[in-house]
Amino acid sequence: MSAEQGSRFTTLENEALICGRCGYCRSSCPVYRVIGWESASPRGKISMAKDIFAKGRKDGLSDEFVQRVAQCTLCGACSSICSTGIDTRTLWLELRKRIAQSGKGPKTYDDIRNTLLVNRNISTFSNDDRLEWAQDLDDPEVVEPRAGAEVGYFVGCVSSFFPQAAQISLAIAEIFGEAGVDFTTMGGEEWCCGFPLISSGFADDAREFTKHNVDKIKELGIHTLVASCASCYHVWKHESQAELAGYDLEVLHTTEYLARLVEEKGIELDELDEVVTYHDPCDLGRNSGVYDAPRKIITSIPGVRFVELAHNRSDSLCCGGGGNLQSVDPELAATIAQLRVEEIKESGATIVVSACQQCEQMLSTAIRSAGLPVRVMDISQLILEAMG
Amino acid sequence: MKAEVLDEIKRKYGDRATDTPFERSLYSRDLAPVPALLVDPLFNTMPDLVVRPANVEEVAEILRTAWAGNIPVTPRAGASTVYFDSVPVKGGVVMDLNLLRGVVGLDEERMTVTVQAGTTWSELDDYLNRRGLTVKSYPSSAPVASIGGWFCMMGYGIGSLKYGSLLSQVRAAEVVLATGEVRVVTRDTDPPLSWFAASEGTLGIVTWLELEVRRLSPMKHFLIQFTNVPEMTRVLTELKDASVTPYNLHFADPACVRAMHDLGLTPGDVQDGCILEIDYEGTDRELAQAEDIIRTMAAGNKSINMLPNEVAEMEWKERFKALRLKRGGPAVLGGEVWLPADELAGYLADINKMSLRYGIDLISYGHVVTPEHATVMTMFYTDETKTLKYIFNLSLVKKIHDIGYRHHGCPYGVGLWNTPYIDRIFSRKRLAGLRERKKTLDPRGTMNPGKVYRSPLLMNPYIFGMGMDVMAGILRAAGRGGSG
Ligand SMILES: Cc1cc2nc3c(=O)[nH]c(=O)nc-3n(C[C@H](O)[C@H](O)[C@H](O)COP(=O)(O)OP(=O)(O)OC[C@H]3O[C@@H](n4cnc5c(N)ncnc54)[C@H](O)[C@@H]3O)c2cc1C
Ligand code: SF4
Ligand code: SF4
Repeated sequence: MSAEQGSRFTTLENEALICGRCGYCRSSCPVYRVIGWESASPRGKISMAKDIFAKGRKDGLSDEFVQRVAQCTLCGACSSICSTGIDTRTLWLELRKRIAQSGKGPKTYDDIRNTLLVNRNISTFSNDDRLEWAQDLDDPEVVEPRAGAEVGYFVGCVSSFFPQAAQISLAIAEIFGEAGVDFTTMGGEEWCCGFPLISSGFADDAREFTKHNVDKIKELGIHTLVASCASCYHVWKHESQAELAGYDLEVLHTTEYLARLVEEKGIELDELDEVVTYHDPCDLGRNSGVYDAPRKIITSIPGVRFVELAHNRSDSLCCGGGGNLQSVDPELAATIAQLRVEEIKESGATIVVSACQQCEQMLSTAIRSAGLPVRVMDISQLILEAMG
Repeated sequence: MKAEVLDEIKRKYGDRATDTPFERSLYSRDLAPVPALLVDPLFNTMPDLVVRPANVEEVAEILRTAWAGNIPVTPRAGASTVYFDSVPVKGGVVMDLNLLRGVVGLDEERMTVTVQAGTTWSELDDYLNRRGLTVKSYPSSAPVASIGGWFCMMGYGIGSLKYGSLLSQVRAAEVVLATGEVRVVTRDTDPPLSWFAASEGTLGIVTWLELEVRRLSPMKHFLIQFTNVPEMTRVLTELKDASVTPYNLHFADPACVRAMHDLGLTPGDVQDGCILEIDYEGTDRELAQAEDIIRTMAAGNKSINMLPNEVAEMEWKERFKALRLKRGGPAVLGGEVWLPADELAGYLADINKMSLRYGIDLISYGHVVTPEHATVMTMFYTDETKTLKYIFNLSLVKKIHDIGYRHHGCPYGVGLWNTPYIDRIFSRKRLAGLRERKKTLDPRGTMNPGKVYRSPLLMNPYIFGMGMDVMAGILRAAGRGGSG
């Protein structure tokens, strides 16, 4: 099943019975590739889920099984290759939900939930400090919430609170400023998009977050929303549709909006003498179907030689950072990132561009420990650099 | 003794060996969800230990140790087979071969590639494609099937019609015998390479193979809808024997087309009739000739409907998704028959009669894999959550094989579940020869025991046949096979 084809998901029980145990998914799963045991493969996990939920093997919900379910980046590679068209990403989320309901989920998931319910963001900071990053702008006022703006920029928790990732929000604000985009943010009323809750099995709690965010967007009268985080984008695009019903909101990822700006000559790009490759974030590429926009941007920069990674577009390899994996098994996440860095090395690129702060953080760390002379940049940072 | 030997392997291989029940249970089954009620009283499918060697030395060492302790070893790679081929039936060690992965060398002068046995066909083809090359044939399970796994099974699939069996494309292989002895085998060695093809892991473990490759070439795809099966099989025969040999020739019978349509999966939204997919590869000249052959055949033929090119191309892209029909079940049962191609029409007619007799939809599809033979999968929907009914439905699989046998066919592959049919699969002389090989190379019978050579007592052809026929009789009297 690919993002373009849409989901045929029925119930966990039925999909687990549909699984033919062919193992196609195993070959494409980064977690299986690192761990190597059948229990870490999508096929193995679904087989156990079948026994537990479709065949009533109650004692099957063991700690080992729960750990295996948590050892997944939700990258969706298993979904796109599945020979019976199972939307496995939805299946994993449903499985995590059932595990959370049984009270057997990983403790770190509970910690994530508690933090979010208290702070409304994934950091330890108060949500009132959402716009602290903007202090580095010439005029921090420009990002203060304002009704009726043409574009609402949904910053996301990571780019709001973590200094490294805040370079992305700063770059976007600068590009928008240069291009004369009439934009605003939700300030302290922006809550976490809810993705960390959804991926920990607390989808019902996440509803409160999506509903809040949708209400605030409506209050501001925003009709175009741009997200720079691939997971926030995925939530807005796919999980908030019920709340958005009847409201006209165009949801775009920054790559899509910036590609438009580049195409309409809203921004001028100078020459860059670099070999650039692009890492498709799973939630933007495979899970949302956005592949062309970032490539259009990169190839429109004069002087840039664009090279694809060995696995790209729908076939892309995960960075290891999705699905809350870092919170339950940081070592596994880091090893997966190393697999991707091998491909970056082979590509001969001097810059690897992505469009998700989580991917960028994972790749930066892995590239640093591999000692590679490659810069990791968000697409917005690349544009800013090309704008001179 | 056994415990000590297993402990020794476990200690030595650290986190690449496991004896936890949690992990081992996943190695006690393959694709076939055969109920425990049927399996457990007869077989010990739970391995005592699963180990993942990373190179030939480790494979050899594990085999040597297991040999000394008389412990059964079952090789397992993609585990994409259905007859418990890679599932132990006497416990022991399961050797997971998936770490034997990657290309060892490419020889563009000889046009061969040497590849580790656990590499999947898709991985190998990706590697070759990046260099303007490709494999000659591959199974329709290429994303998971390993090079060694297909060699140790029958080795026919996509591309075989044009390029022959996998065995005919393999120049050499490295095998580790049951004793742990490492040999490189070719057509001229003793034992020869051919002994290991289709041996289902019962003679030793293959660690690498040297295979012939070819240059990547352009392709052309055609998809034709027919109103009736006889016309489809007539055209199929004409095309397979034409001056340009198709690379791939795939057919789907009316029940298959209906089932695909019910699931919204039919190419070009075809609703009825049957479908023939013909794929060619070769030089531009060959492709032009192929196109001529198809157009000439189609001209004025009222019983066919040529589907648009882009639909044919899309269907080619879906070539690995044979299991997509499973969504309609969700469980399926069936039999895959190695059938003389000229018996296809008769076989499908008899399958249709069986379908009416038992009140179930029998869905058939398959590939023509040699000028003389097709592999035909005939399946039906069932419900694996209703154990008793499921067991009764197994008797219909025998009925499918009986029809295949009437048309001079036999099951494709043996493993455990097809051992009751060994008399149909092999001539008496051939079977005696195979048993002799087994005795020569594995006198203690530790390599993948219980497979291929003889059926277990309760599954001997006579008892098995009688039991299955009684169950089928009950189903027929009740008029309810399948999932209903
Ligand atoms: C959707 C689908 C389509 C399929 N299409 C085809 C097809 O077109 N043609 C076809 O022939 N089959 C087909 N199959 C069956 C199966 O996928 C193939 O036979 C495949 O090649 C098996 O490879 P594997 O790696 O999964 O082997 P496994 O299932 O792991 O093993 C198969 C047998 O070989 C032994 N074995 C595996 N590796 C080694 C080794 N290195 N050394 C010694 N013994 C070994 C095992 O013990 C076992 O007996 C299909 C299956 C599915 C699910
Ligand atoms: S979503 Fe990705 S990590 Fe998770 S099981 Fe599927 S392929 Fe593996
Ligand atoms: S690819 Fe799909 S059907 Fe095959 S084992 Fe994986 S989840 Fe199951």
